[in-house]
Amino acid sequence: MNLRDITSLVWSNLNRMRGRVIMTALGVLIGTAAIVVLVSLASGIQANATESFSSIGALNQITVFSGAAFVDGGREAQEATLLTPRVLADIEDWDEVEAVTPRVSFFGQYTLKLNRLEGSTTLVGIDPRAADALDLEAIEGTNRLGRLSVVVGSAVAERFFDPRNPNFDPERELPDLFGQTLQMEMTRFSDETGEAESRTIRLRVIGVLEEVGGESDTTIFMSVSDMQELNTWATGNRPNPDRDGYTQAIVIVADAADTIEVENRVVDLGLFAFSATSILQQVNIFFVIIQAAFGGIGAISLIVAAIGIANTMIMSILERTREIGLMKAVGASNRDVLTVFISEAAAIGLIGGIGGIIAGIGVAEIIDFIGGQFIAAQATAQGGAADPVSLSVTPLWLPIFALIFSLFIGLLSGIYPALRAVQLNPVSALKYE
Amino acid sequence: MSGVFIEASGLKRHYTLGDQLVKALDGVDLQVKRGELLALMGPSGSGKSTLMNLLGGLDTPDDGEIKVDDKVVTSMDQNELAVYRQREVGFVFQSFNLIPTMTAQQNVEFPMIFSGVAPAKRRERASELLERVGLGDRMTHKPTELSGGQQQRVALARALVNQPSILLGDEPTGNLDSKTGVEILSMLREFNDAGQTIILVTHDPRLEEFAKRVVHMLDGKIVSEDTAAI
Ligand SMILES: Nc1ncnc2c1ncn2[C@@H]1O[C@H](COP(=O)(O)OP(=O)(O)OP(=O)(O)O)[C@@H](O)[C@H]1O
Ligand SMILES: [Mg+2]
Repeated sequence: MNLRDITSLVWSNLNRMRGRVIMTALGVLIGTAAIVVLVSLASGIQANATESFSSIGALNQITVFSGAAFVDGGREAQEATLLTPRVLADIEDWDEVEAVTPRVSFFGQYTLKLNRLEGSTTLVGIDPRAADALDLEAIEGTNRLGRLSVVVGSAVAERFFDPRNPNFDPERELPDLFGQTLQMEMTRFSDETGEAESRTIRLRVIGVLEEVGGESDTTIFMSVSDMQELNTWATGNRPNPDRDGYTQAIVIVADAADTIEVENRVVDLGLFAFSATSILQQVNIFFVIIQAAFGGIGAISLIVAAIGIANTMIMSILERTREIGLMKAVGASNRDVLTVFISEAAAIGLIGGIGGIIAGIGVAEIIDFIGGQFIAAQATAQGGAADPVSLSVTPLWLPIFALIFSLFIGLLSGIYPALRAVQLNPVSALKYE
Repeated sequence: MSGVFIEASGLKRHYTLGDQLVKALDGVDLQVKRGELLALMGPSGSGKSTLMNLLGGLDTPDDGEIKVDDKVVTSMDQNELAVYRQREVGFVFQSFNLIPTMTAQQNVEFPMIFSGVAPAKRRERASELLERVGLGDRMTHKPTELSGGQQQRVALARALVNQPSILLGDEPTGNLDSKTGVEILSMLREFNDAGQTIILVTHDPRLEEFAKRVVHMLDGKIVSEDTAAI
């Protein structure tokens, strides 16, 4: 028997019990559709989560803290590694590492002024040589930080308001920061008298960065040495990184694939480290479990459908007992009989599977559309930007997997009925009424 | 005529129904030559169908041996029996056993699906045989659109399509009126005249005119035999 004969035989046999085949295939369709919809939803949630997690930081960046900061009671403080320039230089020498920079925040109070506008945002001091490695791409100007010059994130302009008009106006005209000089008004309090004291520094904006969709969009970058100067004034102490280490540093890995490995080595040095990549890895394990659980729910309904196929096939074999006897009488081998009936069951699975994939993708699209509109409406109501949200994402492997799975379910449920057909005694089968 | 083609010896087939033993065949010896037209006659329950099924490889005896063309049918396994039925045997049944969803043409082609004949060749052989049984103009008809006699002719064409060396008919005229029955019988006779070995079971006394040899059975045994003077 060749494939063409099997196909046409199976087709005419299924056609003969069309009503029953449709009902049975409907069971498979529902199961397959359930798998497609549920796994698509799980993937959609995962895609959204992945996206928000990657805004924590680029996948090739590791945030490192001095080990001491996390050791309690100071008991083990001597043993913990400090983020001294020496340690940073050592890490930078590793083959996988592209650059290392301290990340120093401002420890005092301050306000930024630009003409009539006032604003405040995150101020960060970095090693100017690491700007490229940190993906700080300037769309205007440069990212080469010099003395008392700053580079601002794409959304920093939104942090400036007119204090005389405190009503928030999302439509207001934003200042163009490029080339401007920001007045940074710092305040410190005297230890003895508690009296406030101010000082103003002029910072030149030499570059505006490209939007990256993360924290650095609202950050103002300056050089570490400038930041140390500002902190010296604000705290009254000159920081000594060679002795105390930096609080925080960023290790940039050349290839994001090496991030986890480098992170582990950093931890082995006695430092505390985390990266978006390692968090994402944990999160992904969680989502794989969710996908498997959702897929499992669909799979259970497919198993129920398999019982339906087996039932339909057993009935059909009973009705066609004489025909099976005839097949044997004209010389069909046991293998031929097995092939015909298993193929019929597999075809029911396949038909249901194809229908289920189409229905599943359709339903996923509808959920995506309705849910997306709902979320967009909520977001606008809360004054946020209506980013397009994808609730369900159907990965390419999913329909392929669903198709193979439904075919397999059909095949499997055909085995028992087909074996019954094979075992029929041809003499009594031909006598069967 | 050549020597013995089919040789059955000491065939026994027993059934137990509850605590009752039914000896459907109780030691049958039979020899058939190539090209013979043999009629099996006997009362109901005498074991005619049982013998036919054993000869056709649909059933296996409890004892005894069947040799066809020096091959021992009774020691074949399931796969060998399937090949034996496919190549050596053609069956015609009392109830025609056509597949209702298939046309006459497709019914005749059906056995060739399993013997692996190429589709073009199948169509050619099927139409050739349907022409020979006089149904050249009924090839696309479904069984329900054919008379009983026509259906049995389709079944006859199907039985012959793999060019079997033995044609077995278990009361092929049993469901037909006498006129149609005679038509079928004369058709069988024509095939026999062309060299086809045929064994028929019949209650029909008119078959005696057609058969060259009649074997009578009773209670699972062959009791007598007449050879027609041709
Ligand atoms: N599957 C079976 N189980 C039990 N007994 C059987 C079975 N098949 C046949 N028999 C018995 O074997 C005997 C012979 O049956 P068989 O069918 O060969 O008779 P037959 O000569 O063909 O009769 P008929 O002319 O009525 O067709 C009968 O007594 C029958 O009851
Ligand atoms: Mg009988």
